[in-house]
Amino acid sequence: MFAEKVIELIKEVDRNPDTIDQYNDEKIRQIIEEMHLLFKLNMNDANATTENRSLWTTVQVRHSALERNKRCILAYLYNRMKKIKTLRWEFGAVLPPDIRELLSDDEYQWFSKYSGNLALYMRSLGQDIGYSGIDLTENLKPPKSLFIEVLCVVDYGKLELEDGDVVMLKKNSRHYLPTSECQTLIRQGILKQIM
Amino acid sequence: MEPYEIEFIGENRIISITPNFTHDKIYLICGEFGPFRAGLPVNVPLWLAIMLKQKQKCHVIPPDWMDVEVLENIKEEEKRSRFFTKMPNEHYMVEAKLILGSAAEDVPNAPEIKTIIKDIWDIRMSKLRTSMDALMKTGGGYGRLDHLTMMEINSVKPLLPAAMDNLLRMQMKTKKTAPSLNLNSSTFSQSGSSQNT
Amino acid sequence: MESTEELQFSDDEEEVTAETVLKTLQCAWQNERLSPEILPHQNDMVECMLGQIQHMERNINKLSKTDLRTSIHKMEISRIKFIICNYLKTRLNKIEKYCIPILNQERQRIETDTNYLTPSEYKYAQEYVLNMENHMKNVVLNKMPGNMQVFEMNKMAEHPNLQTHVFLKANETINGVVLEDLTGEDEEIDLEEGSQHILQYKPIADLLKNGKVTLL
Repeated sequence: MFAEKVIELIKEVDRNPDTIDQYNDEKIRQIIEEMHLLFKLNMNDANATTENRSLWTTVQVRHSALERNKRCILAYLYNRMKKIKTLRWEFGAVLPPDIRELLSDDEYQWFSKYSGNLALYMRSLGQDIGYSGIDLTENLKPPKSLFIEVLCVVDYGKLELEDGDVVMLKKNSRHYLPTSECQTLIRQGILKQIM
Repeated sequence: MEPYEIEFIGENRIISITPNFTHDKIYLICGEFGPFRAGLPVNVPLWLAIMLKQKQKCHVIPPDWMDVEVLENIKEEEKRSRFFTKMPNEHYMVEAKLILGSAAEDVPNAPEIKTIIKDIWDIRMSKLRTSMDALMKTGGGYGRLDHLTMMEINSVKPLLPAAMDNLLRMQMKTKKTAPSLNLNSSTFSQSGSSQNT
Repeated sequence: MESTEELQFSDDEEEVTAETVLKTLQCAWQNERLSPEILPHQNDMVECMLGQIQHMERNINKLSKTDLRTSIHKMEISRIKFIICNYLKTRLNKIEKYCIPILNQERQRIETDTNYLTPSEYKYAQEYVLNMENHMKNVVLNKMPGNMQVFEMNKMAEHPNLQTHVFLKANETINGVVLEDLTGEDEEIDLEEGSQHILQYKPIADLLKNGKVTLL
C-alpha cells in the first residue's frame, strides 16, 4: 500500500522521544523511490484523464500518497532536528563519537550550523560592554547552596573550606558542610553522609 | 514552570535573622542589607538567610505567622470558608519548606507547625480539585481564583489549562458542525451529554 | 561596593535603580516563561544587569576569598545569571519553535519600530529558518519528483496557541475585558486590582505587554 513505509519512519522517531536512533538512510531512499514511481504513473495518467474520466480518482489517490510521503518525511527530519538540538544543549559543541554516529552527515552539518548560530548569538550578549561571561547552556538551574550532614569516620584534621572557614575533622565529629566540598572525602571514606 | 523555579522566586522574600557576627552594610544588586550586629535582628532575603544559617552564622527569626495559634486559626478559617482564604503571604509554602528545612531548631514547636501547614495545604488542594471540577462542568472558559499562591496554581498545571483548552476546542468543533443550533455554553454544559447533531 | 547608584537608560526615561531593573527583569522572565507567544524584548534590562554583574565580579576579585561578602555576592550573581539565562533561553525556544510566523510578524513590526526581537535574536531566527530550509532541501526535497520539491513555508510553520488558558493576576483594576463567547455573545468582565483569574490568553495579551497583568 502506498505511504505505508513512511509510517515506519514516524514510528521510529516517536518510539523513543528522549533519544535519537540511527538515521534511516535506506528507508528514506525507498520512500523517495516510491514517490518517483507515483509521480511518473500520475504524469502518464493525467494526460489520459482528459479522455478517460475514471482515472481521475486514481490520480487523486496517488497524489494524496505523494503529499503524505512528503509530509511524513519532513516530519521525520524535523523531529530528528529537534532531538539534535537538545544534543547541543546537553553535550556542547562537540558530540561524543557514539552519538555522532547516529546522525547522517547532512544532519551533522546542520548540527554544526546550529551550534555556530547559537555561539554567535551568545557572543552578542554583553558585547556592547565587553562582557563575555554568559553561557546560556549553563546556569539552567537556580543556584542552591547545598549542604549535607556528615559524620567523620577517622581523625583527619583541618579542612579549609572555599570561603575560608576551617573545620576540625575528628573521629566521630558531625558536621554540616557544602555538598560540593565533601564529595572527595566521602569517596575516600573519611566522611560518611548522614541520611 | 517547575517547583524549583517558584521556590527561586519565593527566596526573594525578606525575613529576619539574628547574626552572630558583626559587619558593615552589604550592598547587593537586589538591595542594601545590614549593618550586621551580633545578636541584633536584621532583615535579609530568604536565600541569604538560609545561606548564612547553613554556614552557622545566624539564627533565623521565624515569621509571625509561623506560630501554632496563628496557624490553627488559619486552618479553621480555611476549613470554614467556601473560598480560598488569604494566606500570610504569596510564598508561605516556600518559606515553610526552607525555614523548617534548614532552621527547624530556630522555630518553636517546629514539628507541630509542619503538620498544621501540611493540613492547610491539603485542605486548599482539595478545594482546588473541587473548584476545577466545577469549572469544567459549567463549560466556562473563565474562573476567578483569588488568594491562591503560585505554588498551588502550579500544582494544577498542565491539567486544568489543558482541559479548558480541549473543552474550548470541542466547543468550537461543535459550533462548526451544527451552525443551525443555537448552542450556548451553559446549555452545552448543563445537559451533560453530547449535543451533536 | 555601591550598586544602588542611579542608572539612566536614555534621555526620555526616568532614572531607575539597579534594584528596580532586577525586579522588572524577574517579572519579564516570569511572563515570558508562562506566555504562549514571544513577548517584546527587555534588552535594556538584560544589558543593565550584565553590566552590574561585570562590575560586581571585578569588585569580588579585589576581595579576599575568605571575606564573607565574596560568597554572598557570588550567590547573588549566580541568581541573576540564572534569571538572564533562563529568560533568554525561553525566548530562543519560542523563536525556534515559531520561527516562521515570528519572522513574518517581525518584518512588519520592524517597519513601525515595534519589534519584539532584539537585532541578535532576529538574526538568529533568520539563520535558523535558513538552515532548516537548506537542510530539508538538501536531504530530501531536491530528490523528490517535480513540483514536490517546493519548501512550503506555511505548511512547515508552527503557530502558538493564543487561545490557551492562562492564570494571571491583575496589577491594577482593569475594566471591560472582553471574553468572546462562541455563540457570539461576548462577556465583559472587570479585573479588580490584586484579583487572580484563569482565562484565555488572547483577550489579555495586550494587558500583559503593558504590564497591567502578570502571569502566574
